[in-house]
Amino acid sequence: MFTQILWWLGIALEILILVRSVKGNWCQKYPAFYLYLGTLLLIELLRFSVYAFKPRAYAPFYWYTEFLATIVAYAVILEVYKHALITSPGLTRIARTFLWGVLGAVILKATLNAVTKLVWSPAITHAELERDLYAVQAILLAGIIALLFYYVVATGRNLKGIIFGYSTYVYASVISLAFGSLPGYGPRPGWRLVQPIAYLAALLIWSCTLWSYSPNPAAETESKIDRDYKLISQQTRRALSKARSFLKMGGEL
Amino acid sequence: MRQLLPYFGVATLLLAVLALWARQIFLTHKTRIEIQLPRKREAAAVSTASHDDLGERIFGLEDWDFVSRNTPFEIQKLFLHERAALAISWLRRTRTRISLVMRTHLVAARQTEDLQPANELKLALSYFVFLILCDLLIGCIWLRGPIRTRKTIGQTLRAVAWLRRAIELLMARVDPANCKTLRTSFNHRTVRS
Repeated sequence: MFTQILWWLGIALEILILVRSVKGNWCQKYPAFYLYLGTLLLIELLRFSVYAFKPRAYAPFYWYTEFLATIVAYAVILEVYKHALITSPGLTRIARTFLWGVLGAVILKATLNAVTKLVWSPAITHAELERDLYAVQAILLAGIIALLFYYVVATGRNLKGIIFGYSTYVYASVISLAFGSLPGYGPRPGWRLVQPIAYLAALLIWSCTLWSYSPNPAAETESKIDRDYKLISQQTRRALSKARSFLKMGGEL
Repeated sequence: MRQLLPYFGVATLLLAVLALWARQIFLTHKTRIEIQLPRKREAAAVSTASHDDLGERIFGLEDWDFVSRNTPFEIQKLFLHERAALAISWLRRTRTRISLVMRTHLVAARQTEDLQPANELKLALSYFVFLILCDLLIGCIWLRGPIRTRKTIGQTLRAVAWLRRAIELLMARVDPANCKTLRTSFNHRTVRS
Protein backbone atom coordinates (compact mmCIF):
# COMPACT_ATOMS: atom_id res chain seq x y z
CA MET A 1 0.00 0.00 0.00
CA PHE A 2 2.81 2.40 0.99
CA THR A 3 4.63 1.56 -2.25
CA GLN A 4 1.46 2.36 -4.21
CA ILE A 5 1.16 5.72 -2.46
CA LEU A 6 4.81 6.52 -3.27
CA TRP A 7 4.21 5.48 -6.87
CA TRP A 8 1.16 7.69 -7.36
CA LEU A 9 2.68 10.61 -5.51
CA GLY A 10 5.77 10.37 -7.69
CA ILE A 11 3.69 10.32 -10.89
CA ALA A 12 1.61 13.26 -9.69
CA LEU A 13 4.69 15.35 -8.87
CA GLU A 14 6.34 14.48 -12.20
CA ILE A 15 3.22 15.61 -14.05
CA LEU A 16 3.08 18.79 -11.94
CA ILE A 17 6.72 19.70 -12.68
CA LEU A 18 6.35 18.95 -16.39
CA VAL A 19 3.07 20.82 -16.77
CA ARG A 20 4.45 23.78 -14.85
CA SER A 21 7.55 23.94 -17.07
CA VAL A 22 5.53 23.65 -20.29
CA LYS A 23 3.08 26.30 -19.07
CA GLY A 24 5.89 28.66 -18.10
CA ASN A 25 7.81 27.75 -21.27
CA TRP A 26 11.13 27.12 -19.50
CA CYS A 27 11.27 23.43 -20.38
CA GLN A 28 13.30 24.58 -23.40
CA LYS A 29 15.91 26.02 -21.05
CA TYR A 30 16.63 22.62 -19.46
CA PRO A 31 15.68 20.18 -22.25
CA ALA A 32 17.82 17.26 -21.07
CA PHE A 33 16.46 17.43 -17.54
CA TYR A 34 12.86 17.54 -18.68
CA LEU A 35 13.56 14.74 -21.15
CA TYR A 36 14.78 12.66 -18.22
CA LEU A 37 11.71 13.50 -16.18
CA GLY A 38 9.40 12.79 -19.14
CA THR A 39 11.11 9.45 -19.78
CA LEU A 40 10.71 8.47 -16.12
CA LEU A 41 7.03 9.40 -16.20
CA LEU A 42 6.52 7.29 -19.33
CA ILE A 43 8.45 4.36 -17.83
CA GLU A 44 6.40 4.49 -14.64
CA LEU A 45 3.13 4.56 -16.52
CA LEU A 46 4.28 1.62 -18.66
CA ARG A 47 5.40 -0.28 -15.57
CA PHE A 48 2.09 0.31 -13.95
CA SER A 49 0.29 -1.03 -17.01
CA VAL A 50 2.51 -4.13 -17.12
CA TYR A 51 2.07 -4.65 -13.37
CA ALA A 52 -1.69 -4.42 -13.72
CA PHE A 53 -2.18 -6.46 -16.89
CA LYS A 54 0.85 -8.82 -17.11
CA PRO A 55 2.29 -9.27 -13.61
CA ARG A 56 4.62 -12.13 -14.72
CA ALA A 57 6.42 -9.90 -17.20
CA TYR A 58 6.91 -7.16 -14.60
CA ALA A 59 10.31 -8.30 -13.19
CA PRO A 60 12.25 -8.42 -16.51
CA PHE A 61 10.42 -5.32 -17.73
CA TYR A 62 11.42 -3.53 -14.52
CA TRP A 63 15.13 -4.31 -14.99
CA TYR A 64 15.22 -3.29 -18.64
CA THR A 65 13.40 -0.02 -17.99
CA GLU A 66 15.51 0.60 -14.88
CA PHE A 67 18.64 0.28 -16.97
CA LEU A 68 17.16 2.68 -19.54
CA ALA A 69 16.27 5.16 -16.78
CA THR A 70 19.79 5.01 -15.38
CA ILE A 71 21.29 5.71 -18.79
CA VAL A 72 18.87 8.58 -19.49
CA ALA A 73 19.78 9.96 -16.05
CA TYR A 74 23.13 11.00 -17.51
CA ALA A 75 21.15 13.71 -19.27
CA VAL A 76 20.75 15.40 -15.89
CA ILE A 77 24.53 15.36 -15.41
CA LEU A 78 24.99 16.81 -18.89
CA GLU A 79 22.41 19.49 -18.13
CA VAL A 80 24.17 20.44 -14.91
CA TYR A 81 27.53 20.47 -16.65
CA LYS A 82 26.18 22.54 -19.55
CA HIS A 83 24.50 25.19 -17.42
CA ALA A 84 26.95 25.40 -14.54
CA LEU A 85 30.18 25.70 -16.51
CA ILE A 86 29.07 27.37 -19.74
CA THR A 87 30.57 30.73 -18.74
CA SER A 88 33.93 29.17 -17.84
CA PRO A 89 35.62 27.72 -20.94
CA GLY A 90 38.61 26.35 -19.04
CA LEU A 91 36.44 24.62 -16.46
CA THR A 92 34.21 23.22 -19.22
CA ARG A 93 37.23 21.57 -20.81
CA ILE A 94 38.34 20.00 -17.53
CA ALA A 95 34.82 18.79 -16.71
CA ARG A 96 34.31 17.37 -20.23
CA THR A 97 37.50 15.33 -20.07
CA PHE A 98 36.63 14.11 -16.58
CA LEU A 99 33.07 13.19 -17.58
CA TRP A 100 33.90 11.14 -20.67
CA GLY A 101 36.93 9.53 -19.03
CA VAL A 102 34.94 8.23 -16.07
CA LEU A 103 32.00 7.11 -18.20
CA GLY A 104 34.26 5.21 -20.62
CA ALA A 105 36.15 3.51 -17.78
CA VAL A 106 32.97 2.25 -16.15
CA ILE A 107 31.34 0.97 -19.32
CA LEU A 108 34.57 -0.88 -20.10
CA LYS A 109 34.69 -2.37 -16.61
CA ALA A 110 31.03 -3.44 -16.75
CA THR A 111 31.50 -5.03 -20.19
CA LEU A 112 34.61 -6.89 -19.05
CA ASN A 113 32.81 -8.13 -15.93
CA ALA A 114 29.84 -9.36 -17.98
CA VAL A 115 32.10 -11.17 -20.46
CA THR A 116 34.41 -12.81 -17.91
CA LYS A 117 31.71 -14.02 -15.50
CA LEU A 118 30.95 -17.73 -15.87
CA VAL A 119 27.30 -17.52 -14.86
CA TRP A 120 25.44 -14.69 -16.50
CA SER A 121 22.24 -13.63 -14.81
CA PRO A 122 20.42 -10.64 -16.31
CA ALA A 123 18.91 -9.56 -13.00
CA ILE A 124 22.24 -9.60 -11.14
CA THR A 125 24.11 -7.94 -14.01
CA HIS A 126 21.46 -5.24 -14.34
CA ALA A 127 21.45 -4.60 -10.59
CA GLU A 128 25.22 -4.44 -10.43
CA LEU A 129 25.43 -2.33 -13.57
CA GLU A 130 22.79 0.02 -12.20
CA ARG A 131 24.71 0.29 -8.93
CA ASP A 132 27.95 0.98 -10.82
CA LEU A 133 26.28 3.53 -13.09
CA TYR A 134 24.86 5.36 -10.08
CA ALA A 135 28.28 5.23 -8.43
CA VAL A 136 29.75 6.83 -11.56
CA GLN A 137 27.04 9.46 -11.51
CA ALA A 138 27.93 10.14 -7.89
CA ILE A 139 31.60 10.59 -8.88
CA LEU A 140 30.65 12.89 -11.78
CA LEU A 141 28.29 14.93 -9.63
CA ALA A 142 30.90 15.16 -6.88
CA GLY A 143 33.43 16.33 -9.49
CA ILE A 144 31.15 19.01 -10.92
CA ILE A 145 30.01 20.18 -7.47
CA ALA A 146 33.66 20.30 -6.37
CA LEU A 147 34.42 22.55 -9.36
CA LEU A 148 31.42 24.78 -8.55
CA PHE A 149 32.53 24.95 -4.93
CA TYR A 150 36.23 25.51 -5.55
CA TYR A 151 35.83 28.15 -8.27
CA VAL A 152 32.80 29.70 -6.54
CA VAL A 153 30.70 29.53 -9.72
CA ALA A 154 27.43 31.42 -9.36
CA THR A 155 24.33 29.29 -10.00
CA GLY A 156 20.62 30.05 -10.16
CA ARG A 157 17.88 28.52 -8.06
CA ASN A 158 16.82 26.10 -10.82
CA LEU A 159 20.28 24.62 -11.21
CA LYS A 160 20.84 24.42 -7.47
CA GLY A 161 17.55 22.56 -7.18
CA ILE A 162 18.42 20.14 -9.99
CA ILE A 163 21.81 19.42 -8.39
CA PHE A 164 20.54 19.05 -4.81
CA GLY A 165 17.53 16.96 -5.81
CA TYR A 166 19.42 14.66 -8.09
CA SER A 167 22.35 14.30 -5.68
CA THR A 168 19.95 13.21 -2.95
CA TYR A 169 18.53 10.56 -5.24
CA VAL A 170 21.93 9.36 -6.46
CA TYR A 171 23.29 9.19 -2.90
CA ALA A 172 20.34 7.10 -1.73
CA SER A 173 20.52 4.90 -4.85
CA VAL A 174 24.22 4.12 -4.40
CA ILE A 175 23.73 3.19 -0.73
CA SER A 176 20.55 1.16 -1.28
CA LEU A 177 21.83 -0.67 -4.36
CA ALA A 178 25.13 -1.43 -2.62
CA PHE A 179 23.26 -3.00 0.30
CA GLY A 180 20.76 -4.59 -2.06
CA SER A 181 23.57 -6.39 -3.88
CA LEU A 182 24.51 -8.25 -0.67
CA PRO A 183 23.03 -11.76 -0.48
CA GLY A 184 21.19 -11.23 2.81
CA TYR A 185 19.92 -7.72 2.22
CA GLY A 186 18.39 -7.96 -1.26
CA PRO A 187 15.04 -9.48 -0.35
CA ARG A 188 14.46 -7.20 2.66
CA PRO A 189 11.59 -4.82 1.85
CA GLY A 190 13.13 -1.89 3.75
CA TRP A 191 15.95 -1.37 1.27
CA ARG A 192 13.58 -1.42 -1.69
CA LEU A 193 11.78 1.60 -0.27
CA VAL A 194 14.91 3.76 0.06
CA GLN A 195 15.11 4.59 -3.65
CA PRO A 196 11.42 5.55 -4.16
CA ILE A 197 11.47 7.67 -0.99
CA ALA A 198 14.65 9.43 -2.10
CA TYR A 199 13.16 9.96 -5.56
CA LEU A 200 10.05 11.47 -3.98
CA ALA A 201 12.31 13.78 -1.95
CA ALA A 202 14.11 14.79 -5.15
CA LEU A 203 10.77 15.48 -6.85
CA LEU A 204 9.70 17.66 -3.92
CA ILE A 205 12.97 19.64 -4.18
CA TRP A 206 12.46 20.02 -7.93
CA SER A 207 8.83 21.09 -7.44
CA CYS A 208 9.95 23.93 -5.17
CA THR A 209 13.06 25.06 -7.04
CA LEU A 210 11.68 24.67 -10.57
CA TRP A 211 8.38 26.36 -9.80
CA SER A 212 9.52 29.40 -11.73
CA TYR A 213 12.39 30.14 -14.11
CA SER A 214 15.49 31.40 -12.36
CA PRO A 215 18.58 31.50 -14.59
CA ASN A 216 22.17 31.56 -13.42
CA PRO A 217 23.41 35.01 -12.43
CA ALA A 218 25.36 36.74 -15.19
CA ALA A 219 29.10 36.13 -15.07
CA GLU A 220 31.33 38.96 -13.95
CA THR A 221 32.42 40.96 -16.93
CA GLU A 222 36.08 41.24 -17.79
CA SER A 223 36.12 44.96 -17.12
CA LYS A 224 34.87 44.43 -13.58
CA ILE A 225 37.56 41.81 -13.03
CA ASP A 226 40.18 44.15 -14.40
CA ARG A 227 38.94 46.84 -12.07
CA ASP A 228 39.08 44.40 -9.18
CA TYR A 229 42.60 43.40 -10.20
CA LYS A 230 43.77 46.98 -10.04
CA LEU A 231 42.20 47.40 -6.64
CA ILE A 232 43.41 44.07 -5.40
CA SER A 233 46.94 44.15 -6.79
CA GLN A 234 48.27 46.32 -3.96
CA GLN A 235 46.64 44.04 -1.43
CA THR A 236 48.04 40.99 -3.22
CA ARG A 237 51.55 42.39 -3.17
CA ARG A 238 51.27 43.05 0.51
CA ALA A 239 49.84 39.56 1.09
CA LEU A 240 52.77 38.00 -0.74
CA SER A 241 55.08 40.22 1.21
CA LYS A 242 53.62 38.66 4.34
CA ALA A 243 54.15 35.20 2.86
CA ARG A 244 57.76 36.12 2.13
CA SER A 245 58.21 37.31 5.68
CA PHE A 246 56.59 34.08 6.86
CA LEU A 247 59.02 31.95 4.83
CA LYS A 248 61.96 34.06 5.87
CA MET A 249 61.05 33.44 9.50
CA GLY A 250 61.08 29.69 8.80
CA GLY A 251 64.71 29.96 7.85
CA GLU A 252 65.66 31.89 10.91
CA LEU A 253 63.98 29.81 13.56
CA MET B 1 30.65 -6.13 3.45
CA ARG B 2 34.16 -5.11 2.41
CA GLN B 3 33.15 -4.91 -1.26
CA LEU B 4 30.69 -2.16 -0.36
CA LEU B 5 33.38 0.19 0.95
CA PRO B 6 34.09 1.86 -2.45
CA TYR B 7 30.38 2.60 -2.84
CA PHE B 8 30.13 4.04 0.65
CA GLY B 9 33.25 6.05 -0.09
CA VAL B 10 31.76 7.47 -3.28
CA ALA B 11 28.44 8.25 -1.56
CA THR B 12 30.23 9.92 1.36
CA LEU B 13 32.33 11.97 -1.07
CA LEU B 14 29.18 13.19 -2.82
CA LEU B 15 27.53 14.05 0.48
CA ALA B 16 30.62 15.88 1.76
CA VAL B 17 31.05 17.96 -1.41
CA LEU B 18 27.33 18.73 -1.44
CA ALA B 19 27.44 19.85 2.20
CA LEU B 20 30.44 22.10 1.53
CA TRP B 21 28.73 23.63 -1.49
CA ALA B 22 25.51 24.17 0.48
CA ARG B 23 27.52 25.91 3.21
CA GLN B 24 29.19 28.11 0.60
CA ILE B 25 25.81 29.06 -0.90
CA PHE B 26 24.56 30.16 2.53
CA LEU B 27 27.71 32.19 3.11
CA THR B 28 27.88 33.77 -0.37
CA HIS B 29 27.21 37.30 0.83
CA LYS B 30 30.07 37.00 3.31
CA THR B 31 32.49 35.95 0.53
CA ARG B 32 31.47 38.99 -1.52
CA ILE B 33 32.28 41.31 1.34
CA GLU B 34 35.71 39.73 1.74
CA ILE B 35 36.51 40.11 -1.96
CA GLN B 36 35.61 43.79 -1.79
CA LEU B 37 37.83 44.22 1.29
CA PRO B 38 40.84 45.77 -0.53
CA ARG B 39 38.64 48.53 -1.93
CA LYS B 40 37.75 49.58 1.61
CA ARG B 41 41.31 49.44 2.89
CA GLU B 42 42.99 50.99 -0.11
CA ALA B 43 43.69 54.22 1.76
CA ALA B 44 45.52 52.40 4.54
CA ALA B 45 47.97 50.76 2.15
CA VAL B 46 50.94 52.95 3.04
CA SER B 47 50.66 52.72 6.80
CA THR B 48 51.59 49.03 7.07
CA ALA B 49 55.06 49.21 5.55
CA SER B 50 56.80 47.79 8.60
CA HIS B 51 54.53 44.75 8.85
CA ASP B 52 57.18 42.53 7.22
CA ASP B 53 59.30 42.65 10.35
CA LEU B 54 56.43 41.90 12.68
CA GLY B 55 56.69 38.12 12.27
CA GLU B 56 60.40 38.17 13.05
CA ARG B 57 59.75 40.22 16.15
CA ILE B 58 56.90 38.02 17.36
CA PHE B 59 58.85 34.77 17.08
CA GLY B 60 62.23 36.30 17.97
CA LEU B 61 63.98 35.69 21.29
CA GLU B 62 65.08 39.27 22.02
CA ASP B 63 61.95 40.35 23.91
CA TRP B 64 61.70 37.07 25.77
CA ASP B 65 65.34 37.24 26.84
CA PHE B 66 64.76 40.71 28.24
CA VAL B 67 61.52 39.77 30.01
CA SER B 68 62.86 36.52 31.44
CA ARG B 69 65.96 38.29 32.87
CA ASN B 70 64.40 41.44 34.31
CA THR B 71 60.82 40.70 35.33
CA PRO B 72 59.01 38.53 37.90
CA PHE B 73 57.22 35.30 37.01
CA GLU B 74 53.75 36.92 36.72
CA ILE B 75 54.99 39.36 34.11
CA GLN B 76 56.70 36.54 32.20
CA LYS B 77 53.43 34.60 32.23
CA LEU B 78 51.52 37.64 31.00
CA PHE B 79 54.12 38.23 28.30
CA LEU B 80 53.84 34.65 27.04
CA HIS B 81 50.07 34.86 27.03
CA GLU B 82 50.01 38.09 25.07
CA ARG B 83 52.77 36.98 22.69
CA ALA B 84 50.78 33.80 21.92
CA ALA B 85 47.69 35.89 21.13
CA LEU B 86 49.78 38.16 18.91
CA ALA B 87 51.41 35.22 17.09
CA ILE B 88 48.04 33.59 16.46
CA SER B 89 46.64 36.87 15.19
CA TRP B 90 49.64 37.33 12.88
CA LEU B 91 49.27 33.80 11.48
CA ARG B 92 45.55 34.28 10.91
CA ARG B 93 46.22 37.52 9.12
CA THR B 94 48.84 35.88 6.90
CA ARG B 95 46.40 33.07 6.10
CA THR B 96 43.65 35.56 5.24
CA ARG B 97 45.97 37.38 2.85
CA ILE B 98 47.00 34.21 1.07
CA SER B 99 43.31 33.24 0.85
CA LEU B 100 42.66 36.56 -0.82
CA VAL B 101 45.39 35.85 -3.40
CA MET B 102 43.85 32.44 -4.01
CA ARG B 103 40.38 33.88 -4.39
CA THR B 104 41.62 36.38 -6.95
CA HIS B 105 43.19 33.53 -8.87
CA LEU B 106 39.91 31.59 -8.83
CA VAL B 107 38.02 34.57 -10.24
CA ALA B 108 40.61 34.79 -13.03
CA ALA B 109 40.59 31.03 -13.64
CA ARG B 110 36.83 31.05 -14.24
CA GLN B 111 37.42 33.27 -17.28
CA THR B 112 40.60 31.60 -18.54
CA GLU B 113 40.41 29.41 -21.62
CA ASP B 114 43.77 27.65 -21.36
CA LEU B 115 43.32 26.38 -17.85
CA GLN B 116 45.95 23.75 -17.02
CA PRO B 117 44.50 21.03 -14.79
CA ALA B 118 47.89 19.87 -13.50
CA ASN B 119 48.86 23.38 -12.41
CA GLU B 120 45.46 23.94 -10.89
CA LEU B 121 45.70 20.73 -8.92
CA LYS B 122 49.20 21.57 -7.69
CA LEU B 123 48.08 25.02 -6.68
CA ALA B 124 45.01 23.69 -4.88
CA LEU B 125 47.11 21.13 -3.00
CA SER B 126 49.71 23.75 -2.07
CA TYR B 127 46.99 26.04 -0.82
CA PHE B 128 45.29 23.38 1.28
CA VAL B 129 48.64 22.28 2.72
CA PHE B 130 49.34 25.91 3.55
CA LEU B 131 46.00 26.25 5.34
CA ILE B 132 46.53 23.02 7.26
CA LEU B 133 50.03 24.09 8.30
CA CYS B 134 48.74 27.47 9.42
CA ASP B 135 46.09 25.79 11.56
CA LEU B 136 48.71 23.40 12.90
CA LEU B 137 50.94 26.29 13.89
CA ILE B 138 48.05 28.11 15.53
CA GLY B 139 47.25 24.94 17.45
CA CYS B 140 50.88 24.53 18.53
CA ILE B 141 51.12 28.12 19.71
CA TRP B 142 47.80 27.94 21.49
CA LEU B 143 48.83 24.76 23.32
CA ARG B 144 52.46 25.48 24.18
CA GLY B 145 53.10 29.15 23.50
CA PRO B 146 55.30 30.79 20.83
CA ILE B 147 58.59 30.42 22.71
CA ARG B 148 58.40 26.74 23.63
CA THR B 149 57.27 25.71 20.15
CA ARG B 150 59.92 27.69 18.31
CA LYS B 151 61.65 24.60 16.97
CA THR B 152 58.42 22.95 15.79
CA ILE B 153 57.33 26.21 14.21
CA GLY B 154 60.66 26.53 12.45
CA GLN B 155 60.41 23.02 11.00
CA THR B 156 56.82 23.55 9.91
CA LEU B 157 57.59 26.89 8.34
CA ARG B 158 60.42 25.32 6.36
CA ALA B 159 57.92 22.82 4.98
CA VAL B 160 55.84 25.77 3.84
CA ALA B 161 58.79 27.06 1.78
CA TRP B 162 57.90 24.90 -1.22
CA LEU B 163 54.75 26.97 -1.60
CA ARG B 164 56.88 29.73 -3.04
CA ARG B 165 56.95 28.18 -6.49
CA ALA B 166 53.20 27.67 -6.48
CA ILE B 167 52.65 31.28 -5.49
CA GLU B 168 54.89 32.44 -8.35
CA LEU B 169 52.82 30.37 -10.78
CA LEU B 170 49.71 31.87 -9.33
CA MET B 171 51.01 35.38 -9.72
CA ALA B 172 51.98 34.72 -13.34
CA ARG B 173 48.32 34.03 -14.03
CA VAL B 174 46.65 36.52 -11.74
CA ASP B 175 48.80 39.57 -12.17
CA PRO B 176 51.50 39.13 -14.85
CA ALA B 177 52.63 42.74 -14.55
CA ASN B 178 53.54 42.37 -10.91
CA CYS B 179 54.81 38.80 -11.21
CA LYS B 180 58.24 39.79 -12.46
CA THR B 181 58.69 42.27 -9.66
CA LEU B 182 57.63 39.76 -7.06
CA ARG B 183 59.86 37.02 -8.45
CA THR B 184 62.86 39.34 -8.29
CA SER B 185 61.86 40.28 -4.80
CA PHE B 186 61.65 36.62 -3.81
CA ASN B 187 65.05 35.88 -5.29
CA HIS B 188 66.71 38.77 -3.52
CA ARG B 189 65.32 37.66 -0.18
CA THR B 190 65.81 33.94 -0.50
CA VAL B 191 64.44 31.60 2.13
CA ARG B 192 67.16 30.83 4.60
CA SER B 193 66.41 27.20 5.40
